[in-house]
Amino acid sequence: MSQAVVTGLNGLSYAFILFLLAAGFSLTFGVMGVLNLAHGALYMLGAYIGMQVIASVHQFWLAVVVAAIALAIIGYALYWFFLKKLYNRVPEQGVLTIGLALIIANVVMWIWGPRAHSMMSPHGLTGVVHIGSLGFPVYRLFVVGIGVLVLALLWYMQDRTRVGAIIRAGMDNKDMTVSLGINYGLVSTFVFLLGMALAGVAGVIGAPITGAYPSMGDNLLLLTLIVVVVGGTGYIQGTMLGALVIGLLDTFGKAYIPRVALFFAWVVFLAILLLRPSGLIGRKVF
Amino acid sequence: MSRRFPAANMQNAAAVFVIAVIVLLLPLFLPTHWSSLVAKMMIYGLFATSLNIIWGYANIPSFGHAAFFGAGAYSAAILVLKLGITSFWLGLLFAIVVSAAIAAILGIPAFRVFGVGAGAVNPIYFLLATIAFGELLSKLAITIRPVTGGSTGMSGVPRAHLGFGSAINEEQFYYLVFGIGIVCLFLMYRILHSHYGYALRGIHDNEKRMQALGYNTWLYKYTSWIVAGVFGGIAGVLFCYFGSTVMPNNFAMATSDISFLLVILGGTTVFFGPLVGSIFYVGIEYVASIYLQERWPLIFGAIIVIAIMATPWSKDRYKGLGPGVLLLWQWLCRVVPRLWGRKPAQSVPTGKGV
Amino acid sequence: MAPLLETNGLSVHFGGLAAVRSVNLAIEPGERLALIGPNGAGKTTFFNLLTGQLKPSSGKVFFKGQDITHASVFSRTHMGMSRSFQITSLFPLQSVMVNAMIGLQGVEKSRYGFYRPMFKDKDLVKAAQELLESQELWDLRDEIVGSLAYGQQRKLEIGLSLASQPELLLLDEPSCGLTMVESADITKRIKALGSKITVLMIAHDMDLVFGVADRVVLLHYGEIACEGTCEEIRQNAMVREIYMGSRKQLGGK
Ligand SMILES: Nc1ncnc2c1ncn2[C@@H]1O[C@H](COP(=O)(O)OP(=O)(O)OP(=O)(O)O)[C@@H](O)[C@H]1O
Ligand SMILES: [Mg+2]
Repeated sequence: MSQAVVTGLNGLSYAFILFLLAAGFSLTFGVMGVLNLAHGALYMLGAYIGMQVIASVHQFWLAVVVAAIALAIIGYALYWFFLKKLYNRVPEQGVLTIGLALIIANVVMWIWGPRAHSMMSPHGLTGVVHIGSLGFPVYRLFVVGIGVLVLALLWYMQDRTRVGAIIRAGMDNKDMTVSLGINYGLVSTFVFLLGMALAGVAGVIGAPITGAYPSMGDNLLLLTLIVVVVGGTGYIQGTMLGALVIGLLDTFGKAYIPRVALFFAWVVFLAILLLRPSGLIGRKVF
Repeated sequence: MSRRFPAANMQNAAAVFVIAVIVLLLPLFLPTHWSSLVAKMMIYGLFATSLNIIWGYANIPSFGHAAFFGAGAYSAAILVLKLGITSFWLGLLFAIVVSAAIAAILGIPAFRVFGVGAGAVNPIYFLLATIAFGELLSKLAITIRPVTGGSTGMSGVPRAHLGFGSAINEEQFYYLVFGIGIVCLFLMYRILHSHYGYALRGIHDNEKRMQALGYNTWLYKYTSWIVAGVFGGIAGVLFCYFGSTVMPNNFAMATSDISFLLVILGGTTVFFGPLVGSIFYVGIEYVASIYLQERWPLIFGAIIVIAIMATPWSKDRYKGLGPGVLLLWQWLCRVVPRLWGRKPAQSVPTGKGV
Repeated sequence: MAPLLETNGLSVHFGGLAAVRSVNLAIEPGERLALIGPNGAGKTTFFNLLTGQLKPSSGKVFFKGQDITHASVFSRTHMGMSRSFQITSLFPLQSVMVNAMIGLQGVEKSRYGFYRPMFKDKDLVKAAQELLESQELWDLRDEIVGSLAYGQQRKLEIGLSLASQPELLLLDEPSCGLTMVESADITKRIKALGSKITVLMIAHDMDLVFGVADRVVLLHYGEIACEGTCEEIRQNAMVREIYMGSRKQLGGK
């Protein structure tokens, strides 16, 4: 029983990492129409940048901020130099970003070596809290906290701000939104940068759990795609739900039935595609 | 927009014949490790040409074509290594059946969410589904270890037995690849130039109109997916004997990457485009494996990026190296006769268009 | 005689917009019926309901006495229904010849033939030649369709809709965007269609409507506002107000 609770917490923290990635991925897709299969590689890059900052100045929060900004800049550069020229060509965007992901991973390996680097949890977040007889790693609680915070911010942005309203209008009918005199370009750029920054944040806060290694984004990217499809695009609630389902499923699966856990998530993915292509909470796609 | 003219047809047929003869004679001149490189080009060329049936002709992009490649490779390997059935032909047959079955099963969810009219969804869903297929199968191959050898796959696939004499040697294997490659390419060529093949082109251009004309486009897309899967599976069988190993990676993105890179590199407007892409790719891979083993993913990624950014693209078609080679050949056919003071062959319209 | 095509309370709405509202229409075999109405009246949407591109929110469609409300687009074509599109809908990367051949084999068994080269199919080549000659496109057979002039594309558009030898031909603004001379030519062609073909056509061009139609139906905000013979429609004050009036306001089409 207690084992299950601890696994549940692990699953929860994993789910929030997935949420950060999937939110960024589906924002860039929903708003910019960009299929970014380099999202996992950018996450990994974020982890390495964060690691480097911590190694030099020992400031966790600074690392988070630097990684977020760096990723936003790198992401935008990739958009400007490559993706922009592939406007509305989804398969080509996929091909391009697969290539970019390979390049990023190999360059990271070149600079930092192929080995995994472990990363210490920041000061004050090490150790374990005891509730009754159960011990929870503080850092995982912290990850959950950050995730909830980001969820709240995104949710607020989606439902209560002008940016959210414009995004929704743009997803319904981009041309109409633009013709109403709304600067959709500015809003979508902002949202794209936000999505990239979230990948950077996810990298830095994820690294103390998994360590940083060049292929750390690969599997996570695939799970992110599953989350996006399972949750549906267009609503942050959907992304969160998808992340929870997949994060918990994967963690519990690995803990209890490790042999089949590997493709558990894919089966859920296919089931959703078959039965409910718009996702659990998504905009109707047909 | 190549037009084929009777005279030009002769020229093209001659070119195909000459190339075939050269490839046939290569092992006589080249050391084995060179001719095995050519065998690899043929295998990858077959693999990519099978993807081109759907990607290039019917405009069904797939990021998971390795699902069939892996299925073919594993079927053949399992038959030999686990069931002890050594006949190459039985393995081939088994692989064809398995990859057709897998394509038939995966095609149902895939095409449920892809198409025009009622039931159509953004192509991203289809692409994500195709990624899922390959990954699902590779995870499956890791999981059912007793059958598939788990995460390290299976090695030690013996040399092929063709049913007469003993197992064939490397040089004979080269001819086997050549023979099967030629047969498969011929079949694919015929399929793509039949009524069915032109219907696929129609779906590429305008699926809505095809339906209005009376075509069950779903059925065409679904069956073309299976056809592509079968030929992809055959390429997988050859690959398993070629390297004498199978790995979960044979199903995964990393292998699918190769298939669509070759399609884009070689171009989708001519039948043999992916073959040209394959020659180019395997050449670079070989050079890189000698000098820059460590940086191969970087080079591979860079080729993908360059191919997608630099390949002339219009109306969902790529004009890669293949059309370039064709242009060069047509230019030669015009220029060379003039050197002898002869007039180039006159063109007569036939209506075949592209 | 039983009507060839009949709709029964046919309606569809897009979100809040009721584009077609409870339309009851019957077409007799051999009839020439024109569907007119201002822009956005729901004419094309009504066509899409007939051919199955759209599913109705309510109501039924009967063709040759059969309920085809839920039949697929292609099966309706096999039953003998065919349409042209308002926005030219061809195979732009293929040659004119290939377009014709693809069009012709849509209702033939041979469309599933996957081994014999299509160009070796003598019957098909001959049929394509006839079709293209009838549309005066035979000389252009090698041209890539995307590079044809607009008027020629429109001809091919109509040629393709005739390829399946339909009993019911649905023409969506066949002369849309053509010059006077070209649309007079189209009018002549539609007139010349045999009496075996029943024609339902959408048109803004009054010369075409009055030149061809036996009966005219006016659609307004998705509803049948009035119907009658050409003469009745010409005299009808409501038609003038709705149609000609709005047309002036919209600056015509
Ligand atoms: N798929 C759709 N989704 C939402 N609204 C639609 C759709 N198709 C048509 N409409 C709307 O339905 C109304 C009727 O459109 P329709 O194209 O049928 O008009 P029409 O009578 O053919 O006009 P025109 O003379 O311009 O061709 C229009 O207001 C149009 O915007
Ligand atoms: Mg219309």
